[in-house]
Amino acid sequence: MPYLKHLNQKLSARFGGRIYAREDDGCLILEGSLDCWDDVVAAGLMSVNKRRYDGLVNDILFTGGEIPPMRLPALQDNALDGATPDVLIVGGGIIGSAIARECTKYDMSILLVEKEHDIAMQTTCRNDGMVHPGIDLIPGQVKRRYNMRGNRMYDQVCKELDVPFRRSGQYICFHGFLRAATAFLGQFYYMLVGPYGRFLGKRAFFKREPNMNPAISGALFFPSAGVVSPYGLAIAYAENAAENGAQFSFDTAVLSMRVDQNRIHSVSTNRGTIYPKIVVNAAGVFSDEIAKMANDRFFSIHPRKGTNTILDHKASRRMMTIVSSFGTSSTKKKHTKGGGLVKTIDDNTLVGPDAVETYCKEDFTTNAQNVWDVFEKQRLTDPALFVRDAITYFSGIRAATYEEDFVIQKGRRTRNLVHAAGIQSPGITAAPAIALDVSKMAAELLSESREVHRNPSFNPIHKGIIRMNELSLEHRDAMIHKNPDYGEIICRCEQISRGEVKDALHRSIPCDTLDGVKRRVRPGMGRCQGGFCGPLVLQIIAEETKKPFEEIEKSAPGGEILFGSIKEVRPE
Amino acid sequence: MTEFLHYDVTVIGGGPAGLAAALAADQQGAKVLLIEREARLGGILKQCIHDGFGLVRFQDKLSGPEYAERFIEKLPKSDVAVWTLSFVSGIERVSGESYLTVITREGIRHVRTRSLVFAAGCRERTSRQIGIHGRHCAGVFTAGTAQYYTNILGKLPTKRCVILGSGDIGLIMARRLTLEGAQVIGVYEAKSTPSGLTRNISQCLWDFDIPLHTSKTVTRVFGDARLRAVEVMSVDEWLCPIAGTGEIIPCDALILSVGLIPENELAESIGIPLDPKTKGAIVDEHNETLLDGVFACGNALHVNDLVDYVSESGETAGLAAAGPQNERSLLPVECDLSLLYVVPQRINRSANQQERVFFFRSSADLDGATLTVRKGAKTLLRKRYSHLRPPEMERLTLSLSPEQLLGDEPIMFSLEELMHD
Repeated sequence: MPYLKHLNQKLSARFGGRIYAREDDGCLILEGSLDCWDDVVAAGLMSVNKRRYDGLVNDILFTGGEIPPMRLPALQDNALDGATPDVLIVGGGIIGSAIARECTKYDMSILLVEKEHDIAMQTTCRNDGMVHPGIDLIPGQVKRRYNMRGNRMYDQVCKELDVPFRRSGQYICFHGFLRAATAFLGQFYYMLVGPYGRFLGKRAFFKREPNMNPAISGALFFPSAGVVSPYGLAIAYAENAAENGAQFSFDTAVLSMRVDQNRIHSVSTNRGTIYPKIVVNAAGVFSDEIAKMANDRFFSIHPRKGTNTILDHKASRRMMTIVSSFGTSSTKKKHTKGGGLVKTIDDNTLVGPDAVETYCKEDFTTNAQNVWDVFEKQRLTDPALFVRDAITYFSGIRAATYEEDFVIQKGRRTRNLVHAAGIQSPGITAAPAIALDVSKMAAELLSESREVHRNPSFNPIHKGIIRMNELSLEHRDAMIHKNPDYGEIICRCEQISRGEVKDALHRSIPCDTLDGVKRRVRPGMGRCQGGFCGPLVLQIIAEETKKPFEEIEKSAPGGEILFGSIKEVRPE
Repeated sequence: MTEFLHYDVTVIGGGPAGLAAALAADQQGAKVLLIEREARLGGILKQCIHDGFGLVRFQDKLSGPEYAERFIEKLPKSDVAVWTLSFVSGIERVSGESYLTVITREGIRHVRTRSLVFAAGCRERTSRQIGIHGRHCAGVFTAGTAQYYTNILGKLPTKRCVILGSGDIGLIMARRLTLEGAQVIGVYEAKSTPSGLTRNISQCLWDFDIPLHTSKTVTRVFGDARLRAVEVMSVDEWLCPIAGTGEIIPCDALILSVGLIPENELAESIGIPLDPKTKGAIVDEHNETLLDGVFACGNALHVNDLVDYVSESGETAGLAAAGPQNERSLLPVECDLSLLYVVPQRINRSANQQERVFFFRSSADLDGATLTVRKGAKTLLRKRYSHLRPPEMERLTLSLSPEQLLGDEPIMFSLEELMHD
């Protein structure tokens, strides 16, 4: 085994014999211990060999800190005990939700379990919402294939699901004559290989984006790029799935699995034991741990954090599309596309993201330095970017494998398992295509035990919540006459009515938190960040769910906003 | 065809400024419409159940709702049309008149008005605007929101909290929460001096043994679903946190009183120029903006320290809004860096009056200072102040004769600290 020997020599030289690599069943396993997380990641990245091995499992013990365990819901009951769904989907992000909806096209019973309290609570709701053209993906990558297909599917999917989507196009800007000249030649590469892109000279570029850095001398324009609300799409997918019969169980974490003769026999959760025929692993940053439980581990996730900042509408008028400068998106080195400046579907400018390796899979904290660094970098594109225009910032964790590619396949050893794992950028773009293939794989696996047909009553059409301030005045007036609640504005920044908030609470996927309402109809997304509308939304939730004020949560159990009536509460 | 309802004066905002403006315009015989977003009039006064309102105006110590009631009770005897639960979603200006689109529970209404008065108040700065990092957990409130929960809903948003910022609402909430049994660990202020009124520091903090820590700020919050702790750091003279000074304080809420921003999104939408210092419109002594027939008053114009001045500014705007539109000849009023700002920022030389009221704030704490008002080389006024503090707004009446206003040089305000022996 000359490759393995050579690799072990390299690892030994770099890490002083503290780690070693071995082969097991077609996979490469790294073992040993290191006290620096960047070294753990570096060891993984330098050992990857996609041609020789099906995957890399990084079992290096990290001794430099305590890796926090997965956050588990406090809920304990037996609501799901004994359930026997045809397909059990683990994970309710964009991937799990999309798969659930595509699976309902077959006559299979679907159960999706999500450990958080709502759809799209972790990586999906912290995404920049770009539908990527696939500029910097290498032909041959799984993610490139799904990106290209997914991008093409967006118009139809968003039409069916009634989700706003805009093909705004993306500009990659080049500074200096030499770079611009290279970009000019670059357009022929893209015409040949795809995605379609064309070169724009300085004048043509500034006609479209007049407020960008005057030092920009040319840009490549990719018209297939677009923007969508990542959580909006995930919620729409989930709601359409629910309308077509899929079951959803929130606050439900998979704790272990029983695997017999290469088949998952049962899946135990905090809400009872489930006996699924097929399991789909769409568990995001935890997809490697789900694979391990299913006795089918051949990849590892190294979490990579990114921070985005949202600017006020007023400061967002400076740009219209998606603009980034060549060299700022740290593309190759750090494996992220770094959207640069993105005019989101809700017309805010989004700045970011960056890419930082971390061993905490749920570390959603932001820090000042990251935000400043991102702004500093993006000023190359727009010199008038100021942190003071920020209305909010947030961090998400990408579920990167060491191969830096998606894992979309049936289980290697475990026969009733499909992986939709290792999904990082461009996961949102790829989701529609991934869901199509994964649902097909699930149906194929199920057809080994019974016949699987198309679901004759599947309805692809989903109706979103009507946004009053997007209607014509006549239409809006007519809606108010039907329901006066549409005429009572409770969020002044985003002009959201009481009626829309009520609508958000009565959908096929339940919602009973402030953040849940915010993700569905946007009160609190504006410049006051919920200062005025927060208490009003809280009261509407309480009225509609018949719960007392003190039981209403910001985003999850344990996140109650109020403690109880004045004069009755005493500090502990 | 869109049907328009006609009014002489339309006031946006039914808080203290808007109420005063509407009543003043009504007294002049104008046909007045008052538009309020919420179900009840009174604006933020509704939740200010502490006293201290009306000392200047009524020589009485009233609570917020009582103060508001003094105006609201006059409405039934007036001809002011009041629309509550109504929201102005857009304004268009056509040949000197304003056309408003108003969303109400009865449908969309269209209003045509000769004069327009902005009295939409202000909003609070948020945790994100002052760079607080960490997780997005429950338990971070602006002081006004915490006040709403406590006083309107009657529910406690915290049992043990840290207050960041020594603005007046923060100080009031420190006392209020303490009275309701919550523990206020301390008030932290990044600046070296408190930003609230002296009387509030004394009555809300000292009287309740709540410590005030200046030159310290909150940099991070910790927690999962609910806040569990905050990190407090000392700051240097540029308000930047000093590394190594971090201190973790366990608590369940962070309450922010870190500044107010006048609400002017609608005003900006019709191109009304704002003063970057006040973040409100640039106005003349009648609170008329640079757009003829459009007025601004109250906290939408500049953040006031006392509601009495808010009412006064509303009356000024309402009176003028009801009057005829005359040709204006505007002279700029400016200030140097020794003042935070001065309002009004213009003087109408054509106005038939001599007495003019100015509001200003000093940039720094000054023990003994001389205010000088000049026009070109001429000194119009020199006035001594024994004590000036940025949180405390100063009201100044100035008598200016038409001769004094000749020439195009701006009127200049400046402060000079007196030398102490």
